[in-house]
Amino acid sequence: MIDYRARFRSNLLIASCGLAVFAVVPLVANSGLMFLAGLVAINVVFGLSWNLLFSGAGLLSFGHAMFFGGGAYAMAVVSLRLPELPFLVGLAVGAGCGALIALIFGFIALRRASGVYFAVLTLAFSELVHILITKTTFLGRNDGLVGVPRPEIDLGLFRLDLTSATAYYYFIIVAMAAAAFALWCFQNSPAGRLIQAIKQDSVRTAFLGTSVFAWQLTAFVLSGAIAAFCGAVMVPFTQIASPEIAYWTVSTQPILFTLLGGAGNFWGPAVGAILFGAIDYGTRAMHGLSEITVGTLLLVVVLVIPGGLLGFVRHRRKKTRGTAKASTAEDTGARP
Amino acid sequence: MTSILEARGIQKSYGAVRVLENVDFDLQDGEAHVVIGPNGAGKTTLFRCLSGETRVNGGQIKFAGQDVTALTGAQRVKLGIGRTFQVARIFPDMSAFENLIIAIETRERNDKGLRFTFGYIAPRQQVVDEAERLVVELGLEGAVDDVAGTLSHGDKKRLELAMSLALSPRLLMLDEPTAGMSPSDRAEAVRLIAQVRKGYGLSLLLTEHDMEVVFGLATRLTVLHHGEIIASGEPAEVRSDSRVREVYLGQH
Repeated sequence: MIDYRARFRSNLLIASCGLAVFAVVPLVANSGLMFLAGLVAINVVFGLSWNLLFSGAGLLSFGHAMFFGGGAYAMAVVSLRLPELPFLVGLAVGAGCGALIALIFGFIALRRASGVYFAVLTLAFSELVHILITKTTFLGRNDGLVGVPRPEIDLGLFRLDLTSATAYYYFIIVAMAAAAFALWCFQNSPAGRLIQAIKQDSVRTAFLGTSVFAWQLTAFVLSGAIAAFCGAVMVPFTQIASPEIAYWTVSTQPILFTLLGGAGNFWGPAVGAILFGAIDYGTRAMHGLSEITVGTLLLVVVLVIPGGLLGFVRHRRKKTRGTAKASTAEDTGARP
Repeated sequence: MTSILEARGIQKSYGAVRVLENVDFDLQDGEAHVVIGPNGAGKTTLFRCLSGETRVNGGQIKFAGQDVTALTGAQRVKLGIGRTFQVARIFPDMSAFENLIIAIETRERNDKGLRFTFGYIAPRQQVVDEAERLVVELGLEGAVDDVAGTLSHGDKKRLELAMSLALSPRLLMLDEPTAGMSPSDRAEAVRLIAQVRKGYGLSLLLTEHDMEVVFGLATRLTVLHHGEIIASGEPAEVRSDSRVREVYLGQH
């Protein structure tokens, strides 16, 4: 029998440790490193949102850039064109925009296709969103929307000044922690269990009296909303929304994080995103070295430890404990 | 007794192959109705049509007086039709206990709506208690913590039966429940099915090949041959039917 309380406590401990590391970054590092850490924190949740679909629901999305870009542009438009609206409304509009894109495209894609065909459809939709952005004058065409201000949030009793990069960095950490918590709770709720069950045997779930389509669409919309939330939070940090953030290469990033870190563990994409950020930072002076290093590492991971880094750690721990059972309920999602 | 499941003029073709030809079928409330027939007779197709796994090309199906012909399998489950499969369908990467939890939570969601979906993480105590009761009832005590995919064939079938029972069905459809079992497992399965039928007050619809199982469970027997019903009635009556003996029992 699974001890859900213990599972919750251990995950809370892992999340707290990660949070503590991110919290001390501005105290010990320069502003360049802090900027990178802020982007890594956003990438962590972007990766988690993608893996909700992949490991959670068994859906391979190759178009997550459309949500990320959609959320980012929605935030930029609200900030620049409707400055009277509060910042938190902008965030909600950003997440809502991602949910709407996911609802429309998910409705079509989930009805029409599955497996690789589903992935290709999401890629096509994502490219459609990217092209629409580059052709729309209102969205700044190829130049994007620049000069997105960092906000001051009026909370009634006091005002929260997030105009400095450091203050906004802390806001990112809090927002991403909340989003990761929401994702974890969803994946471990009855709804999350059901979506996992659909992935394992959709016919059986249908014959438990469940609409497979409705639940897959729910997962798709939630994943899209969280990815868009990440984009919306990022824009005031970088202060620009450019078409590149809706380009297909952005869709490959959460896939990369997940494969590096391990798809079978909830925190796999987080580990992958941090590792990716570290490689990016370590090779920043040598143009192209980052891509070569990441590519080589990915090759090694896929060939040698297909369960990703966390899958490898779990495997080693099991070996040292001498338990022979090869698979448990939690690490069987690791089938990239 | 009243009819709980009524099918009239069921037709089903796959391409040019007509598998079911104007089949009329009745299942009375409380009976254990077994459909038999040689391989290729259309048993599984009839089963799939009645459970909603596939749509019929013609005819009408009523469950408890309601026309369910256009409903999906999931919608029919909500009305009270549970089913198992020839090869047990379970969630192979979860523990047996989690399989049961999901089935019970799904029933609660179907009964009470979305408020039982979000807002808590661990299954509620009531759900856990019910799962534990099912584990004992179906003799799965030794398998609860095992990953379902690693269970023995018999335990997988039991688990699937337990999941179907968790849905509180009025009619339970079992597609070859003893397929691939050893003779001793088969006898045990018959005992278990008879026990749950009595305990839950279920109507049963089964397809089966093994004659010992058939005559051990059936209160009514229907024989399909080339997509048509050639006999239907009490087991003893059907057994003595000359046409049945010729096309089916005589071959065994």
